Amino acid sequence: MAQDAKLSHTAAMILQAVDCGFVYGFSIMEMTGLPSGTVYPAMRRLERELLISSRWESQSIADAEQRPARKYYKLTSRGKATLEASRKRYPLLARLIPTEEAKSL
Amino acid sequence: MNAPEATGLGVLQRALVRGASLVVPAEARAEWRREWLAELWHVRRACAAGGRDGWRGEREATCFCLGAFQDAFCVRRHAERRPALPGWLEGSPLQCLLVLGAALAGCWLAAAMLPGVRAERSLQSYRSYAGVVLIRDANSRNDATASILPSQFRAWAAGRRLYFDDFAFYQVAPRRVSAGGSLTGVWRVASASSNLFALLRLPLEFAQRAAADGLPAMVLSQRVWEKEFGGDPRVVGEVVRVSGREARIAGVAPRGSWRLPEKVDAWMLVPDSAFAAGRAGYVAAHLTHTGASLMWAPRQLITEYGPHDTERDLLGVSLDDQMPPPDAVFLFAMLLAMLAVPAVTTVSMGECNFASHRPSWQRRVCRWGFFLGKVALVLPAAYFASFDLAYARSTPYAALPVYLQAAAAFSLCLLGLSWACSDQRRRCPVCLHRVTHPARVGLVSQTFLGWNGTELMCMGGHTLLHVPELPTSWFATQRWLYLDGSWDFLFAG
Repeated sequence: MAQDAKLSHTAAMILQAVDCGFVYGFSIMEMTGLPSGTVYPAMRRLERELLISSRWESQSIADAEQRPARKYYKLTSRGKATLEASRKRYPLLARLIPTEEAKSL
Repeated sequence: MNAPEATGLGVLQRALVRGASLVVPAEARAEWRREWLAELWHVRRACAAGGRDGWRGEREATCFCLGAFQDAFCVRRHAERRPALPGWLEGSPLQCLLVLGAALAGCWLAAAMLPGVRAERSLQSYRSYAGVVLIRDANSRNDATASILPSQFRAWAAGRRLYFDDFAFYQVAPRRVSAGGSLTGVWRVASASSNLFALLRLPLEFAQRAAADGLPAMVLSQRVWEKEFGGDPRVVGEVVRVSGREARIAGVAPRGSWRLPEKVDAWMLVPDSAFAAGRAGYVAAHLTHTGASLMWAPRQLITEYGPHDTERDLLGVSLDDQMPPPDAVFLFAMLLAMLAVPAVTTVSMGECNFASHRPSWQRRVCRWGFFLGKVALVLPAAYFASFDLAYARSTPYAALPVYLQAAAAFSLCLLGLSWACSDQRRRCPVCLHRVTHPARVGLVSQTFLGWNGTELMCMGGHTLLHVPELPTSWFATQRWLYLDGSWDFLFAG
């Protein structure tokens, strides 16, 4: 069961960051303070385990903003379930990277 | 499109990413590179927009690019289905010692296989012709010009000796040599005094006593022995014909042991009366104690007084090795590197901690033992690696490899020792695993009033390391925080 999958603290932080809207590798780095050599390999592993999925943004959007197109990540349903389980295991996670809803409270 | 990577360092950073992409399997390379280059673009823009000064921004972008290598290796490992290291080995002291041991074994193996290194190491036992001088006419062009006649040598050898206790003579000429019916060739053969090798104190390989048949002894150079006889030790004792005259092979001179003038393929040891009259040769002489005390310079003028008040100027050229042996060069470079380590890195082992907690003395002994173990592996690896770099393609007795070895030994020792210190500072004092997961904490300081640093964590849950970004008088070095039981939930298995 996905909910039973145990994630390391780093992987849980990355999942939490993606869930909070930090959907690019560099923005996750900035949010978590983790280096690129940790974040990108972790995201590849999460993607292999179907906890996140990636997609390239439309080239037309990137062209309009005069920048290269980026690859963004989002949580899968399995990833959301795993993140819920991880929040119980790591209670500080939600406080480290609060969601938009939590911030508004 | 704006191009924040158009600076020189930007080009270098893109080159780093492209270099890392070569590690990624070909089928995934294009997309992998596209993602990293796009992210690099945003990193550089963020650094520029964030008001970071140029150097700091470039450093952050470069660190970002270096992470591409870790990612590339992960992608490759997964594609090849290579198992990752077991968790208990990752970052452990055992892994560190194994890697260092493998590096040491590699350097040692290279030293054992490279011909130049092997020759230099074998030369160390006879690299100096102690107390031997080459005597030549002071007016001859150089040391490699034969200038002494056999009659003169015989007169010296028979005369009263105050400064020299032994003389040897040799003449070199091309000779046709045949052996065993099939082998025929023209070698450079030195007709030499029978005491030549004894005077030079050169040990011969596979040496045999002279046979009772009265044939002159022939000593082969190692090069000829390997090339013409296939390195077969059974040729020692066989008879060869040298310009129609028979001689018996008596041994092999080790590679690089011959340091007197002229290249020689073989030496034929003959009586002093058998030298070709009227053809000049070379004289080597061994100094007496009195002679050695007067030989204070590498080249000493010697005046020979002949009958009827005639004088002749000769030059005694010392054959003592002027260059220091490689071991001494390495020791000197290592000493210099040890003195230079505090200039390139802090030698503090980061024993400072936030609380009064002190690790037990057993753990401190383990920690220091591990550090000394690293040093004990790093220094021999540097020794063999400096040998490999300096002597891989050198000829014996050349001066350049000595300088190369000194530079390589100093650089490698300095690099190795500073790495050993910095690695030690990143190891948990309790379990000696490397602390991981660096995270920036605090606000970035623009006025030096803020406070910023990096925190790393021991994944065994023993310690947390805080490294200040800007060392101050009250917080200059890294500090350890020993974690108590309240942190256990973070590391629950």
